[in-house]
Amino acid sequence: MDLLEYQAKELFRDMGIPVLPSQRIDYPKDLKGLNIPYPVVLKSQVYIGGRGRVGGVRFVENTIDAIAAAQTIFNLPIMGEYPKMLLAEAKYDADREFYLAVALNRSVCRPVLLGSCQGGIDVQSAIDQMQHVVVEQEFSPYYARRLAIKMGLQGTLIESVSAVVEKMYQLFIQHDLDLVEINPLGVSATGEVMALDGKVSANDDALARHPQLISLISKLGGDPAQPNDVVPVVMDLDGHIGIVCNGAGLTMATMDLVGHAGGKTASFLNIGGENRWDSSPELLKLRLEHGLDLMSQHKSVRVILINLISNLVPCDEVAAVIVSYLERKTARAAGLTNLRSDVVFVQPKRRPSLVVRLVGSQSDRARTQLETAQLSLVENLDEAVTEAVSLAKSGRLES
Amino acid sequence: MNFTPNNRVLIQGIVDPLGSTYTPLMQAYGTNIVAGVSPGYGGKVFHGIPIFDLVEMAQMVVGEIDTTIIFVQPFAALDAALEAIAAGIRQIILITEGMPPQDVVRLLRKAEATETLIVGPNSPGIIVPGQVLLGIHPSEFYTPGSVGLISRSGTLTYEIARELTLAGLGQSMGVCIGGDAIVGSSFPQWLEILDEDDNTEVIVLVGEIGGDSEESAAHYIAEAIDKPVIAYVAGRTAPKGRRMGHAGAIIASQISELGTEIGTANSKVTAFERAKIPVANYPSQIPTLVKKSLRLPSRRQSSP
Repeated sequence: MDLLEYQAKELFRDMGIPVLPSQRIDYPKDLKGLNIPYPVVLKSQVYIGGRGRVGGVRFVENTIDAIAAAQTIFNLPIMGEYPKMLLAEAKYDADREFYLAVALNRSVCRPVLLGSCQGGIDVQSAIDQMQHVVVEQEFSPYYARRLAIKMGLQGTLIESVSAVVEKMYQLFIQHDLDLVEINPLGVSATGEVMALDGKVSANDDALARHPQLISLISKLGGDPAQPNDVVPVVMDLDGHIGIVCNGAGLTMATMDLVGHAGGKTASFLNIGGENRWDSSPELLKLRLEHGLDLMSQHKSVRVILINLISNLVPCDEVAAVIVSYLERKTARAAGLTNLRSDVVFVQPKRRPSLVVRLVGSQSDRARTQLETAQLSLVENLDEAVTEAVSLAKSGRLES
Repeated sequence: MNFTPNNRVLIQGIVDPLGSTYTPLMQAYGTNIVAGVSPGYGGKVFHGIPIFDLVEMAQMVVGEIDTTIIFVQPFAALDAALEAIAAGIRQIILITEGMPPQDVVRLLRKAEATETLIVGPNSPGIIVPGQVLLGIHPSEFYTPGSVGLISRSGTLTYEIARELTLAGLGQSMGVCIGGDAIVGSSFPQWLEILDEDDNTEVIVLVGEIGGDSEESAAHYIAEAIDKPVIAYVAGRTAPKGRRMGHAGAIIASQISELGTEIGTANSKVTAFERAKIPVANYPSQIPTLVKKSLRLPSRRQSSP
C-alpha cells in the first residue's frame, strides 16, 4: 500500500534523508499555530500523482493567504480524491531537480536504483534521462555511486546524491518496501540536496512483520490494508454480472469470457487462496459464503456467475454453501412479509440469479443438491458464461 | 532435472495445514516422499513418513534428497529454503503464497550461486501425469500425453488441463512458475526443458497480465524453441493497475527496455503474434489450436 507524502517524510527524517521542516494541517485553522516561518508551501496529501499541475500545491506568504489557500486545496479533488490533510512545508529554492528511486524489478528479480537529472513534474523527461543500476548482490554503497556517475554527476554531488540513495536503499530493505521515490530531489545553488517530495509503497505481504510501519500508517490517519479481507472489486458501473471465482488467473479468464460473450462484469471476487499455508476447506467455504453475501449487496448485480474449480473442497460441500445462501435469502424475504402483514402487496426482497459452474470431486452429489434449490450445475465454462450473459440481458431478478 | 517417481522428496512444513492436506494426496499419486521436516515434531510419523526437526537430520537418516516441497508460513519460507540449500538440496518447490518479495530476492541470489532450481513461490508445483505429483495440482484433471503445460496460475491451469483431457489430449507435464511478481524459475527455463523432453510434442503457455514474462517467452520461443507453442493470455478485460500516476512503478517496468506498454494483455498478445505463435482467445480454443499444430483432426472427442 502507498503512503502519503507526509508519512514518507517521517520515514525519511528517521533515516537521515534531508527533508524541510514541515507540519501536518488537518483544518485550515491549524495554520494559525504554524511553527514554520513564511513563505511556506501548502501541499494536498493525496495518493495520486500530478497534484501540482491541477492546483494542489500553493505558495503562501502570510496566515490570511494560507488559510484561504488551504480552504481551496481541501475542496479540490485530485483525480476524484479529496485530501484529508495538507502538509505545510518551508519553501526551498532549488537550482536543479533530480529524480531518485529504489524499486523491485520483476524482470531481473532484483532491486534497482533509478536516477534522472530531469526530475520534477514532467515525468516524461525524467524517463528520457533515466539511469538504472541493478543491485545484483548484497548492497554496498558503490552501487549508489555507480548510479550518481551514470547520471553524469561530478565533484561533491557524487557523494551527496549517492548518500541519499544509500539511505533510500536502507529504508527500502529495513521496511520491506516496494518503492522509495524522491521526486524531486532539490539541489541548491550551493550543492545542498533536499527531498522535496517523497513516495513510499509498503509491500502488502510483508506489512504484517513491520509493526512500526503499521503504527505509522494508523497513527497518521491511514488505514492499513487487510490483505485477508474478501471484498468484491467493482469493475463497470453499467455491468450486471458479478463473478465469484477461485484463483486470479481463472477470475481474469472468466471476466474475459463474459466480455467476449457481450456481457459486462459489474464486479468480481476472487475467493482463491488455495496456496495459503493455512488454507482449509472451512476457510474456503467461509470465504464463499461471505463473498456471496457481499456480492448480492451490489444493487447493479443481476446475475452472479460462480465459477469454482474445486481442489480442496468437494463440489457437494460448495453446493451446500450455495444452497444455504439461497435459504437465508428466502427466509429473510419471508420474515419481512410477516412483519408487514397489514400490507397486501409486499415487494419481495430481490436477489440476483445464480449460474453455478463447478468442477471437481463429488459433482453428481452437488448437482442433486442444487436441483433441490431449482439450480442447475453447469460443467462447461463457455455454456455457463453464455447463460449468465443472457440472464443479465433479460434483466430478470429472482424473487 | 529429475521429475520421475524415483525422485526422493522432502516435505518442509509437513504438519502445517496445507502440508498435511496434500502430503497424503501426493503419496497416493506415487510420489516418493522420504521424510518430512517440522521443528518440534522430530521423531513423529505422519502417514508412514518420518518427521525431523532439521533438514540435515532427515538427510542423515533417510539419505539423499532430490526435491523439497515447502508448505511453511510465508515469513518462514525463506529460512526453510535456505536450510534446504545448505543441506545440498537443489530442487525447491515453494507452494506458500504471501512470501515477501524481498525474501524471494535474497533466496534467488543464493539459489543462483548454488545452481538451485526454485519453482514458485505461490505455485501449485509440478505434475507429470501418471508419474509424479510435486505440489497441489488436482490430479483428476490430468492424463498422460504429449502436451507440456506451463503457466503462472493455479486454477486456470487446471481448467486448461481439463479442457485438454476432455479433448483427448494428455499432458507430458504441468508446471506453474508462480503467481507472484518475483518468482524463481522462468518461462524460458521451462520452455527449454520441455523442448528437450522426449515426451513433449507441443507446448501450451498460459500467461496473464503484469510483468514481462510473456514478452520474454515470445522472444525466446522465436529464437530457441523448435516444438510448436500455443499461447493464451488471461486479463484482456482486467482493470488497469490502481497505481495511476505512480511514476516509480511505470519507470521500473521500463528498465527492461522493451517499451512502455509492457504488462498489458495487448503487449503480450502482440509479442506472441510477432513471434508467429498462435494465441487462443479463450481457454476452450486451446485444444483446437493444439490439434491444428499437431495436424490432428479437430473434432472434439468424448470424455476420457
